[in-house]
Amino acid sequence: NTSHQLSSLPLQILFYLNGIYYIFYFLATLAMIVYKSEVFSYPDDFLAPDLALLLIMAVLEVLRLYLGSKGNLTEEEAPLGLSLALTVGSVILSVYFLVWQTYVLRADVVINAVLLFTYGLESVLKVVAIAAFVS
Amino acid sequence: PQETRAAAPARTRRGPAPVTDVAKLCVCDLLVAQCDVNCCCDPDCSAADFSLFTTCSVPIVTGDNRLCSQKAAIYSLDVEANPPERIFKLIDQVNPSIFCIHTTNYKQALSFSSPEMPTSENFDQLLKEFGSAAFSAEPDSWNMNTDAQNPADANETYRYEYGVPIQTVDAFLRLPSPVVSSWCSDANPAAFLVNQATKCTRSLSVEKCGSIQAVSMLFYINSSILAVNITVQSVVIQSLNGMQTSLNGSDVLRLPMILDELCINVVLGVSYHITYTDAGEIIEAAASFVLGAIKKEALSIQQSFEISFTQVNTKPVPLSGNPGYVVGLPVRAGFRPQGYPFPVEILFAALNTNKYGQLTILQSTSSQDCLESQGARTPILFGYNMVSGCKLRITAAMKCQLLAQTLLDLLKGQSFPEYVASFGNSQAHNVLDWVPITHLHNSEQRIYNAFQSSCQIPVSLEIAVKWTKYGSLVNPQARIVNVTATITSTILKQLPSGRERTIPITSSVVFSDISSPAEPGYKAWPTINAKLPFDFFFPFV
Repeated sequence: NTSHQLSSLPLQILFYLNGIYYIFYFLATLAMIVYKSEVFSYPDDFLAPDLALLLIMAVLEVLRLYLGSKGNLTEEEAPLGLSLALTVGSVILSVYFLVWQTYVLRADVVINAVLLFTYGLESVLKVVAIAAFVS
Repeated sequence: PQETRAAAPARTRRGPAPVTDVAKLCVCDLLVAQCDVNCCCDPDCSAADFSLFTTCSVPIVTGDNRLCSQKAAIYSLDVEANPPERIFKLIDQVNPSIFCIHTTNYKQALSFSSPEMPTSENFDQLLKEFGSAAFSAEPDSWNMNTDAQNPADANETYRYEYGVPIQTVDAFLRLPSPVVSSWCSDANPAAFLVNQATKCTRSLSVEKCGSIQAVSMLFYINSSILAVNITVQSVVIQSLNGMQTSLNGSDVLRLPMILDELCINVVLGVSYHITYTDAGEIIEAAASFVLGAIKKEALSIQQSFEISFTQVNTKPVPLSGNPGYVVGLPVRAGFRPQGYPFPVEILFAALNTNKYGQLTILQSTSSQDCLESQGARTPILFGYNMVSGCKLRITAAMKCQLLAQTLLDLLKGQSFPEYVASFGNSQAHNVLDWVPITHLHNSEQRIYNAFQSSCQIPVSLEIAVKWTKYGSLVNPQARIVNVTATITSTILKQLPSGRERTIPITSSVVFSDISSPAEPGYKAWPTINAKLPFDFFFPFV
């Protein structure tokens, strides 16, 4: 029965939009870090962790979206579960950029809030999809 | 008391704590315990004082306005009320920009850091960092460069620049000069390449003449200029009535001593001659002395000092300007020896009749007879137009060709130079600094007839010197660009025998300024220098 499809379409759409939004988020955060380092006093030992965490977040995001998309399309719960675990890491990093960054601008607050909302929605849909695959 | 003394070195003093509450901050409160005028935030002011204010000089006190939301204290005067009263409001100011700082986790971000308090431990380091005229972010590299330049080697030759005091082993080469009054001060250092001549008075009496150092020869040749000893070039003895005799043996040092109620060998004048290379090193120093005697009644003597600098392997030539010609100084000229450009070591020989290498012109004499005045010439001074001349009496017996040659010699002088120095300090070996003299010949042509065989005699020489202003707008230097010598000849008609004629012979020099109008030069437009710090991608690059 080909119409019985367990892959979640909303989740896939969300992955796609998340990918596009994350590219914008990464460039915007990088640009704002550059702006902050020019305008404010941003010593090197505060700049380095912020940049490092941004790059780790980018790597994590790529991995997370790939695994989640693969798991959803092949209807396997293992990659999807791994993606959910990586989402936790991404959430923590997003909270860092929202609250514990050296300088948090209002724009930072906005884009991180949007990202966290996306993560939350994704997590819910992933749990639903895993439940559908398992059963 | 003892335990506080022991605790004191361990405790570091702190400066006053910074005030961050905007309600308590007042920048216009300058007078302590008194009300500042128009300062609405001053706590020393009462309501009666506020009623006399016209405006508030400080209307708002805020923190950094890049923060998204911050407290602000607003002071204003309500002039409608009677009497006027001050209104104080504490509000939350919101920055609408999307790039305002929401929070910051870097405590020192938005405030000035408290400076380190100097203690006995960190004093040296603080002095090294902040003790000079400019603070640098990298003091160590700058200090290393300056240390490398001052090893103070007496063996190494020291290169001087213009105006730098000449160093000797202990201090500087002294050229005593009058300061404020006419009394000699020994603290004037001689500066490199600055020719100085000073005269000053020194108090002296016969009894003390052996003890005052500054009147003995030893004082002036004692200190050696680093590696170079000061040699005695010549000694001239001046007697009491002013007659000077030069001594043959200049090796022996003559110290002041008392002889028959006179003090002899007292230094009346010193003239230093310093020889330097073109790299700025001093290789020779010589001093010439004038020694005199003073009588018992004398209370002071006048001493004169001079220093002059000569470049090695050159003959000292008096400059007419540095570099541009100075008005009133003679125009320098010379010849080009044969064989140029092959032997470049041969210098220009300045072989004019005037041995200083100057351009000269016929000098008018009182007799006004050309043939009598035997070649009296006067140097041409820059900027001064001159006319001179004489009268020539022509008799029938004079041969025309001989007369023409004599007049040419008279007008031009024995050896008229070929080149004129374009700058006042042109060196003989810089070929391009010399301007060739252009010769023109004007012959007065009368009616073209068959008697063209009658010869022509020169009657006037006009030297036209064209000069221009060269260099910067605020300090233009005079530079000679063109020199033209025009000889005007006239036909000498054969006189009937017995008759004689007098014709005037003139020579003139005209200086004309052909400088083009100044063009201002603008500096380049400022450019925005925006670049990332070089270690921006640390630690990934």
